[in-house]
Amino acid sequence: MIDGLLELARHRVEGGGGADALERRVERTSIAFEWGRLKAAGVTQEGGVNLRVLHRGRVGIAGTTNVGVGDAAAQHAAPLLERALASAELGEEVALVFPAPAKLPRLVTHVARAADASLERLIQIGQGLLERLAREGCQVNVAIEREVAETRVANTAGAQGTYRSTGVALSADLWRIAGDDVLAIGDALEGCDLPADDALDGVVRSITTRLDHALHIVAPPEGALPVVFTPTGLSAVLLPVTQGLSGKAVVQGISPLGNRVGEQVFHAGLSLTDDPLASGRTASRPLDDECVPSRVTCLVQGGVVQRFVYDLETAARAKTESTGHGQRGIFGKPVPAYTNIVLGETGNVKREAWNGLGGGLLRDITDGLLVDELIGVGQGNVIAGAFSHPVALAYRVERGEITGRVKDAAVAGNAYDLLKRIGGFGSDARWAGSRYAPSVLLEGVAVARR
Amino acid sequence: MIDRLTAALQGSRADFTEIRVETSWSSAVSVRGRRLESATASEDQGGFVRALNRGCGWGTASFTSLDQLEAMVVRADELSRAVRLDRPIRLAPVPPQQAEAILDLDGDVRGVPLADKKRLIEAYNGAMLAVSDRIVDTLATYRDEVSEYWYVNSEGTVLHELRPEVTLSGTAVARRDGTIEKGLESIGLRRGWNAVQHEAAGFRAAAERAVGLLEASSVQGGAYPVVLDPELAGVFIHEAFGHLSEADFVYENPQAREMMTLGRRFGKKVLNVGDNGAAPGLRGTLPFDDEGTPTQDSALIREGLLVGRLHSRETAAAMNERPTGNARAISFRHPPIVRMTNTYIGNGRGTFDDLIKDIKLGVYACSAFGGQTLLENFSFTAAYGHMIRDGAVAELVKDVVLAGNLFQTLDRIDHIAGDFRWNQMGGGCGKAGQYPLPVTEGAPHVRIEEALIGGDVPA
Repeated sequence: MIDGLLELARHRVEGGGGADALERRVERTSIAFEWGRLKAAGVTQEGGVNLRVLHRGRVGIAGTTNVGVGDAAAQHAAPLLERALASAELGEEVALVFPAPAKLPRLVTHVARAADASLERLIQIGQGLLERLAREGCQVNVAIEREVAETRVANTAGAQGTYRSTGVALSADLWRIAGDDVLAIGDALEGCDLPADDALDGVVRSITTRLDHALHIVAPPEGALPVVFTPTGLSAVLLPVTQGLSGKAVVQGISPLGNRVGEQVFHAGLSLTDDPLASGRTASRPLDDECVPSRVTCLVQGGVVQRFVYDLETAARAKTESTGHGQRGIFGKPVPAYTNIVLGETGNVKREAWNGLGGGLLRDITDGLLVDELIGVGQGNVIAGAFSHPVALAYRVERGEITGRVKDAAVAGNAYDLLKRIGGFGSDARWAGSRYAPSVLLEGVAVARR
Repeated sequence: MIDRLTAALQGSRADFTEIRVETSWSSAVSVRGRRLESATASEDQGGFVRALNRGCGWGTASFTSLDQLEAMVVRADELSRAVRLDRPIRLAPVPPQQAEAILDLDGDVRGVPLADKKRLIEAYNGAMLAVSDRIVDTLATYRDEVSEYWYVNSEGTVLHELRPEVTLSGTAVARRDGTIEKGLESIGLRRGWNAVQHEAAGFRAAAERAVGLLEASSVQGGAYPVVLDPELAGVFIHEAFGHLSEADFVYENPQAREMMTLGRRFGKKVLNVGDNGAAPGLRGTLPFDDEGTPTQDSALIREGLLVGRLHSRETAAAMNERPTGNARAISFRHPPIVRMTNTYIGNGRGTFDDLIKDIKLGVYACSAFGGQTLLENFSFTAAYGHMIRDGAVAELVKDVVLAGNLFQTLDRIDHIAGDFRWNQMGGGCGKAGQYPLPVTEGAPHVRIEEALIGGDVPA
């Protein structure tokens, strides 16, 4: 639909304007095992078009799920364009430049085995996982969702790209309720392909290991202590940094990192990269949703801030180039968004290797914590860096070993300060959603009891 | 449409089939700082079919192309049959309903030009910017929606509704050197254009608060007597207790069932909690839930004792209780699951002053930036707070994070004032990937004898 739509738009926009559009069709198949048994199976079919016009120097946006195919599609194009033009009448002036055609990187985003997997195959994977996680006194939920999508983006400058993609997301949670003690331990996998056996083994091992250590409850320590944040536990510390590295926050003048490019802001071992080309990841794609070819963006290198991520509009406002981070849905305008964030000790992102919780960082800790999940991450004034969260799942570490689970404790600090005091990176780097990171030891984290 | 849906139902081989179709018109205008962020008008439409067969699980199909309706009815039946169950799913009976419910559109937003909506939100944004030159950034958003809704099921229920909604939100960011503070304003109503014409004062107050917080110091972490304002008390009861009362958490989990046994003491005699999907004029209010069950006022805690929970037809049948009209879906993209509507702490007695007069050192926690519960543990970030010193409200403090254990904290609620109010906020509730669901919370001022306040934790 969008080629005809852009052709129509080309003739209507005035003042040296243009247009770009995204069309996406998605089919999802999902199964849910609830409290230990398969309860539901579902499909979702969704299609939509998002159109942006630059008309008399102003930007207008319109979206619709009312797309149809063939002649029906042509019928829907005209009203969509009218809405976008009407939106541009009110729109703000932006010196938006639609990118010219460019060579796209080669990238596998579609795996036939995942696209073609039958419902029975998905059920079999879930059933297998459920059986391996079954434990006396515990309840297990497993959900699997497989997505097959086709995306086309194009603009009136002639740039365009079409790609098919697959994604399989699997999550498992184990619940144990003993009196008023509620324990929930979960893990998730996500990728373009069906999960491999060793990845499923990893989920089972990760959940059962954390459960075994959690059965014994110990008193929390107190004070400024060494705390190991697991790859999932890191969110509270990384969220302010990723918010601060967004070009949008920089343009708004609310990023504490906004004027610090080239400065040593973090520990010299810290590197952060956004990688839209990472193999097998669902966030990877050959081009962004605004026709900018994907490329790796180094955000922080050796603790020094390198650059921010931009989409076309924020780049235009910041008088710089888009880094290829435009992301758009069917409704609303594109926004800058990360793809795959990779955290690594400079030049040394270690291979996934299991050597217990904490990735080898617990050895030298006399008294401290291992934090796997916090409550309330993302609330409050995140970008300023200060956080204070009760633990959802955390363990006490004494003389190099986990001695039990702690409840009724909170950790607090400022992410920008703590990331100057990195005590080490674990050898347990793994994907947690679209972030690849090892466990990280931070020194002097405030731990409070209640 | 109704004829088409009933014809499609006839085509289903499943023992039970339901179809929902929605068409929604929405518009949104956002202003950031001194410029327009976006102004869009959208149309969204689609359907959802759910089928159930004896000895089988749920089969669901959601779709944006209505041409696919008949094919999707067949697909949902097939998917149901692919899920074999040893213990069958039963649905508690609900008498078939036929209703045409056109809610008061109160100035149909579909007839208002986008330019007028832009002018309105620019005025509110301007009210924030005018407060101080320390306001370095603002975001003000106007959003409205009217959705036309059809629901039919194979038991004879036929519903047609027109549902309006309008929300305003404002964020003011104040900065002084390296210090950045925020103030929030949020209004959400199941009403129309007329209902949001006089809201500048709330936006101005949000900006004033952000500026005020620049001078405030962080609250010293520790255990205090804490008084929650009605807004934070409402968020607290929704997050910390409301989610536990959703029966899909307990109905097939024996340990959870035991923890939530009816009759268990959850608090002192002053504590009354309920959920009322039928309360007039609120954002969480609708005549029926998304299974066609009439909504109602459900008591959850009465005089400190657990007396009820929120149900779908499935969870009610599994627990031999009655459906409460709490099966809700945020849109045709999702199945109905057990959700809250308008959740409240019942009114107590006396005034705010009665709550604080005998507190020597405490915290008055106000409004909410957010809250999260992981079952028995919760964390809420108040938008701001004041210290209470010698029975009076004292200096403004920031970074007020209230954290604790649900059971202990509910049990420590020792005084509830008689100043109940509903908090008509925007935003919404999230669960199982369904966000934002329109809900409302209500409460009076509530005192907790002792609670942990995070914030500036002494190292």
